[in-house]
Amino acid sequence: MSIIWQAPTISTHVAGTAGFSIPGIANANRHRPTFDNGSSFAIYNSPFSFMSRALSLSRTALCKLLVIFFLLLGSAVAGVDWTQIERDLSAKIAGANGPGAISLDLVNRASFGKGELDSIRRSLITQLSTLGIQVVKPDQAAAVVQVSLSENLQDYVWVAEIRQGTSPATILMSTARRATAPVLPSAHAPAITISRTLLWSQETRILDTAVVEVSGAPGYLLVLDGTGVRVSRFESGRWREEQFLPVNHVKSWPRDLRGRLVLRKDHLFDAYLPGVICSSTGGASLGLSCRDGDDPWPLSPDLSAFFTPNRNYFTGGLSPGIRQENSVAPFYSAVPVPKANYTLWVFASLDGTLQLVDGVSKQSLSGLGFGSDLAVVRSTCGSGLQVLASSNTDNATDAVRAFEIPDREPVPISPLLEFAGPVISMWTENNATNAVAIIRNLDAGRYEAYRLSISCGQ
Amino acid sequence: MKRIAFLFLAVSSLCLNADAATRPHYGRTLRVSLLARPTSLEPIQSLAPTAPQLAELIFDTLVSLDQQARPQPQLAISWSAEGGNRRWQINLRPGVMFHDGSPLTPEVVASSLRAANPSWQVSANGDSVQIVTDAPNDTLPAELSLVRNAIVRRDSSGKILGTGPFRVNDFLPGRKLTLAANDDYWNARPFLDSIEIEFGISPRDQLIALELGKADLIEIAPEQIRRSTADGRRVVVSRPIDLFALVFTRDRQSAEEGRLRDALSYSLDRASMRSALLQGEGDVAAAILPLWISGYEFLFPAKQDLARAQQIKSGLKQSSPWSLGYNANDPVARLMADRIVLNAHDAGLAVQVTPNQQTDLRLVRIPLVSLDVRLALRGVALAADIPAPAPGGTTLDQNYQVERSLMDSQRITPLLHLPRAQGIGVTVRNWQRTPDDSWDLESIWLATEKP
Repeated sequence: MSIIWQAPTISTHVAGTAGFSIPGIANANRHRPTFDNGSSFAIYNSPFSFMSRALSLSRTALCKLLVIFFLLLGSAVAGVDWTQIERDLSAKIAGANGPGAISLDLVNRASFGKGELDSIRRSLITQLSTLGIQVVKPDQAAAVVQVSLSENLQDYVWVAEIRQGTSPATILMSTARRATAPVLPSAHAPAITISRTLLWSQETRILDTAVVEVSGAPGYLLVLDGTGVRVSRFESGRWREEQFLPVNHVKSWPRDLRGRLVLRKDHLFDAYLPGVICSSTGGASLGLSCRDGDDPWPLSPDLSAFFTPNRNYFTGGLSPGIRQENSVAPFYSAVPVPKANYTLWVFASLDGTLQLVDGVSKQSLSGLGFGSDLAVVRSTCGSGLQVLASSNTDNATDAVRAFEIPDREPVPISPLLEFAGPVISMWTENNATNAVAIIRNLDAGRYEAYRLSISCGQ
Repeated sequence: MKRIAFLFLAVSSLCLNADAATRPHYGRTLRVSLLARPTSLEPIQSLAPTAPQLAELIFDTLVSLDQQARPQPQLAISWSAEGGNRRWQINLRPGVMFHDGSPLTPEVVASSLRAANPSWQVSANGDSVQIVTDAPNDTLPAELSLVRNAIVRRDSSGKILGTGPFRVNDFLPGRKLTLAANDDYWNARPFLDSIEIEFGISPRDQLIALELGKADLIEIAPEQIRRSTADGRRVVVSRPIDLFALVFTRDRQSAEEGRLRDALSYSLDRASMRSALLQGEGDVAAAILPLWISGYEFLFPAKQDLARAQQIKSGLKQSSPWSLGYNANDPVARLMADRIVLNAHDAGLAVQVTPNQQTDLRLVRIPLVSLDVRLALRGVALAADIPAPAPGGTTLDQNYQVERSLMDSQRITPLLHLPRAQGIGVTVRNWQRTPDDSWDLESIWLATEKP
């Protein structure tokens, strides 16, 4: 069992009120306030697993690691730099009270841990002393200062109430802008059969990602979302965004937007979105040329399918078809399972059934617990080819499981690989040895792209 | 053997995740039951006060507030201020259409905003709209997110039109509203094909409709949340966002009357009201705004202090009993009113519950109209018919002073902050919990029975 652990880096940008503007206006998301919809542009990326330090851990060690992870999770305010707000409030207290002796009482009205509270108290005492105020015991104090550490939707709110004798309390407030939802490290599951590597994380919905290899090593990462394609270079162990290529389109996107990146040989990539096809352009610098179109989306090198431009599913129309079959029932996703003399196609239909089509016969399977998203990966395990399927849950977590289809019956071959939110998309990568799963991480309030691959259960 | 293994794994996964779903489905009709009886679709006069959630389905605002109450683009894509936040330039999103296919133009937007805000000077300016206010107003972007500032257009027949995710198919005032998905919605067509809303349905009948599968979305009163949850219904509960308060209908006439009002405030046992009448739901309200919005509610006292109330009352003469009115359609209000009479009596004050409209005191339930502190305070002041504070003020200290002055006016005595709750049907998926309890119905979808 091995654990991959990589601490994330966080950068945030909080938009101000006046003079606010956004790029890509036609693609801007509606910002109805929800608890999971962010609007800043923080980027988090972590390196590939093979670039990271791999640790072999026992189950006990894993549990300890998870405990630490959840402890970190619970301390939502930990790690915030309070220097400015401490300085500001201390200055206000000094301005109102003047130099002298006070008693200081801290009241925790937010989610501070005891350690954090003690640290803030020490810092406040230090700040106050530089301003000529000594913190003493209540019976020696000329004034009693109670500082409440509170918070509201936008800010951390620290309130000082200064009481001198029977006079009404003087109220002083200082605020510090709250960051958006913190990016928390993802607990990488042990690589038992399906292993995952976090490729990218962002606040807006990711549709697909593609890794462009250079000389056999990851060179560039393409991330498709509703506004365009982000191009990042792998450098010093991390992805650094180099370029953003906007997707220009006229009509608004459908809800539950989907999209697909396909690497090409004659140009870098194509991006398929509902009713819009984009191709990268070369020349002095990378560009993106988009046009309205209902060209079929590639499902494999041999089969493409038409996507409904104003919905979230494929129409069922196939190009060129599976032998004589040119159409199937509308579906969300499909994967090929090569057999000795033919290819069996598995379609995840809108009604939750699986349609198995080989060009001669069709078969419908129901009640298997399959979700809407399928991908297929090659490996050195089992038959050498596994179907990855999301599960049909809408609980807080979602999961992916690997199956093999030796005959016409899917057989699960892996335990569930759980995620901290629903799997909203899954595509087979170009090389077919990996798949990309896009997760809406409900804990972090972000979308995450994972590369999934099969390990042989060491 | 493989089949057994598969079944075991499949069953075990079902046990872990009993609630089944897949990728969102387009289509189907959501059935909603509401107690309110809006008589028109006018956002300001009818929908905002009775059913603000419905206004957001039909109409868009220029701006919306995100979960941290920060303004975000909606029909406006950007904005900027000049002249010390007095003159605002609002740039409009291109390509937006009203439900009749007519374009959203700066002229229409200006006309709509002028109607809602007579004191603003609003004019079309190229592709944008310019708003000039009497005084510096740095809350203007947030103000544009209020339902009352939704952008509406009237066609030649006087029919009211919006740009929202749903268009009106049929409206029987006070009885029924049928909405259809706006296929050309600028921010993606809703998953649902249509919504049918029945008005004037009593809470009991709403529960029955949900039980029988005849409604997918109903309201649950705060005092029913615990029981509904215990009964196994799917109940979604907001943060406490409605204010239950006592409002004096006129200013105090003397210092003595002010002290009597103080005595009344100290006599109130809010904790008992919450535990006994609301089954422990909601929060005791010390201030107009709850802590999670303001961050400073604890600066106001809320604990009952009967001894102090009696002490204040002693030596003062109440010229006549205060009459207390309440909303007779609100089952909790009557119980609350009775409790207030008892608390006041313990302090030596006389309060009489009366069904009359003209009363000294009113027991009111005021929805907080915005997550923005200043706008929320103004909204409460307007609802309570208290002179509204000026829109200025940029710091939390200033907001606190505004709230302090409203409280010091002794016109309003907060009692409880109440959550809003909905019961949702078993097929409803992707319900988004929003801090302001707006209904994000364009994002929900209805599942079909699992095969």
